[in-house]
Amino acid sequence: MEEQTPVLEMRDIVKVYPDGTKALKGVTIKVYEGEILGLLGENGAGKTTLMKILFGMLKPTRGKIFLRGKEVRFKSPADAIANGIGMVHQHFTLVEVFNALENIILGMEGHGLLSKIDVENARKKLQKLMDELNFQVPLDVPVENLPVGVQQRIEILKMLYRDVDILILDEPTAVLTPIEVRELFAVLRKLKEQGKTIIFISHKLNEVMEITDRVTVIRKGEVVGTVKTSEATPQLLARMMVGRDVVLRIEKPPKEPGEVIFRVEDLWVKGDRGEDAVRGLTFEVRAGEIFGIAGVEGNGQSELIEAIAGLRKVEKGKVYLKGVDITGKRPRELYDMGMAHIPEDRTHMGLILEMSVMENSILGMHWRKEFSKGFLLDWNKVEEHAKRLIEEFEVSAPGTKAPVKSLSGGNQQKLIVAREVSKRPDFIIAAQPTRGVDVASTEYIRNYLVKLRNENKAVLLVSADLDEVLQLSDRMAIMYEGQFMGIVKPDEVTEEQIGLMMGGVKGEPQK
Amino acid sequence: MNEAMVISLLLGSLAAMVPIALTSVGAVISERAGVVNIGYEGILMFSAFFGAIFAELAGNGWVGILGGAFVGLLFGALHGVLTVYLKGDHVIPGIGLNLLGAGAVAFGIRAYWGTAGQHTVPSDAQISPLWMDAFGNSLSPMVPITIAVAIVAWWVLFKTPFGLRIRAVGENPEAADALGINVELYRFTAVLIASALAGVAGAYLSVDWLGTVTKQIAAGRGFIALANMVFSGWNPLIALGGAFLFGFFDNLAIYIQNNPWLAGTIPWQFIATLPYVVTLIVVAGIIGRARPPKWDGRPYKRE
Ligand SMILES: Nc1ncnc2c1ncn2[C@@H]1O[C@H](COP(=O)(O)OP(=O)(O)OP(=O)(O)O)[C@@H](O)[C@H]1O
Ligand SMILES: [Mg+2]
Repeated sequence: MEEQTPVLEMRDIVKVYPDGTKALKGVTIKVYEGEILGLLGENGAGKTTLMKILFGMLKPTRGKIFLRGKEVRFKSPADAIANGIGMVHQHFTLVEVFNALENIILGMEGHGLLSKIDVENARKKLQKLMDELNFQVPLDVPVENLPVGVQQRIEILKMLYRDVDILILDEPTAVLTPIEVRELFAVLRKLKEQGKTIIFISHKLNEVMEITDRVTVIRKGEVVGTVKTSEATPQLLARMMVGRDVVLRIEKPPKEPGEVIFRVEDLWVKGDRGEDAVRGLTFEVRAGEIFGIAGVEGNGQSELIEAIAGLRKVEKGKVYLKGVDITGKRPRELYDMGMAHIPEDRTHMGLILEMSVMENSILGMHWRKEFSKGFLLDWNKVEEHAKRLIEEFEVSAPGTKAPVKSLSGGNQQKLIVAREVSKRPDFIIAAQPTRGVDVASTEYIRNYLVKLRNENKAVLLVSADLDEVLQLSDRMAIMYEGQFMGIVKPDEVTEEQIGLMMGGVKGEPQK
Repeated sequence: MNEAMVISLLLGSLAAMVPIALTSVGAVISERAGVVNIGYEGILMFSAFFGAIFAELAGNGWVGILGGAFVGLLFGALHGVLTVYLKGDHVIPGIGLNLLGAGAVAFGIRAYWGTAGQHTVPSDAQISPLWMDAFGNSLSPMVPITIAVAIVAWWVLFKTPFGLRIRAVGENPEAADALGINVELYRFTAVLIASALAGVAGAYLSVDWLGTVTKQIAAGRGFIALANMVFSGWNPLIALGGAFLFGFFDNLAIYIQNNPWLAGTIPWQFIATLPYVVTLIVVAGIIGRARPPKWDGRPYKRE
């Protein structure tokens, strides 16, 4: 494989952002026809930056791109697409109110700007594409009403409809459930069979091991090396990424839980479309306990968290924190009572992207005395606080005054986690806490949650990552259509039992 | 109410519908593409004024309509350059235009015709009606044209590639950009179409419906058109219906005011608000809560 000319080569790419951040310091990667190349690297290593350059979204400061041996320069994504390169982003770029068909044909609707769109013809072409790849998406439903996994397939179809033969996928699995990941991989294998070339970015080592042919590892804007997947191990990859050995296990000493900190009684919550999303849940979280909630996304987890955190109306039932009825209380009152919340959707609920790292670092506690000077904020104290968070959680940020949107995805997540635990809560809701976070930081965040538990705090963990829930929880519930299919101890169930419960089969009732 | 009155009321409603419908439909197109413009009131003023001048110079009402469209186009181009290409604020230019329109037209009437506040357009410069009866009821050719414009606008917006792209750049310009759609070009084109339609509406006021130019000729119709656009849920056909409703109640109010028996029993302040309130309730009731295009009023800059 190594002797043939690569279908794509990015040579000596340097990228300095306008604010002076050196994201890439001379990166060279080669991609061969028909392979799946994994791109691995810590948060902020420069993976997204590199791919945005390839896709014509960013101009490289220096460096060249060769496509089939010929130098190319893309001025825009459309340019890249016309040259057969497609990209599916970490954050989807779909027109939410359009259906799949409209999203896909946009810009390629056929002849005549003012003639009627030939919907049937487009539908036929799409159906053929889907049949070849062995999956279906509903073409007539507004995409905002579709699960993320389906939206992602629409993004992929959008690129294939344009006949791209090199497909870039930036952390495609971060938002997917395990089942959706398996389906995605089936699609990727089909694409590979058809001769397409794929660049695959992920933080999950086992995924990279499973799906890729070769892996290129990037650290701090430089290539560390490239290995054949067949000759790699997760440990090796982790070491290449981080530059040291990474413990992929979590130390969790046994611990007797204490008094009940948090309790939910017969909770009913409605979803956005008025359906009953949470249907009569009752559970409690004790001091010194991590209570995990697993389940396929979209089974009411989001609504449950929002209701608990005071962001959504409780239809029926009660919520207690430290014995006090907190049903219907506002978020600020809840924070003052010792609740913290790592939201699942960082860009909409956790951060204000346009504001600086410093400002974001005190969101939700900006009224606290420690940050004020009379009626004003004491910016020195705020900056100190931000610096402390950055240091402790190794958030790589250009500075405390940089806007949060200039942080890489994983670093944004780390900042939220750092801020929330800095509130010194007695009860913390952690929703998808390690989504999009690299291995080293995932390890750090998970250990931190365990540390909170060891310090006798109550932790409610909600995650689509089943391994995460299994590893961290003292007790776990499996949620299906707004109800718990069972509350179990992770070491007392088999994966199969959990799989059944995730599919809606009730488990044995347990004490 | 006899048959003649019904006909009169109906024709009056259609006549009043035209300027609001044209302006609303234009505004729908512009906002679907993501550009807010609150300066239609100003465009109506200017194009009513210049439309009359063009019509009188040519001795033909249609030249006035074209002239109005041209004047609208100029203001639209200015708004488009400021908002779409220079990424400026979408609201401020409109405020300026409205203030300017109010002052400049009053001054212009005096400067050009030498009369204070009002000028009657001679009949040879007016558009002749399609149909007229002995009582002075008439139907302007602009009525079927307006209905056609609304239908075509709806069809283009929802059935053609052009419309799909207009809506895409108003909802998620980033997505459109990534697929090679020239966001700025589509937004700019939409602004031009919108302001040209408002220009036609303005000229219609002076060279057709009212047959006069006054310093308050727009009479808030630019703003009503905007409200109607919102309540229509950014849909040209419903905007057309809303404009007709407004025209209907506007005429009904006049009818009630002119009827001594009714006018005595209902306070006129109430009657005068009738068209506004009823249109609002009915149109809002039909549509419910509509959502504006997601990028409406926000400039798009590529990262
Ligand atoms: N618009 C921007 N302005 C300034 N700096 C930026 C900008 N976007 C990214 N960076 C910086 O460039 C570096 C690389 O970021 P990039 O998003 O490429 O990382 P990544 O490898 O994709 O990380 P992750 O795994 O967290 O997504 C980071 O240090 C980041 O803070
Ligand atoms: Mg990234």
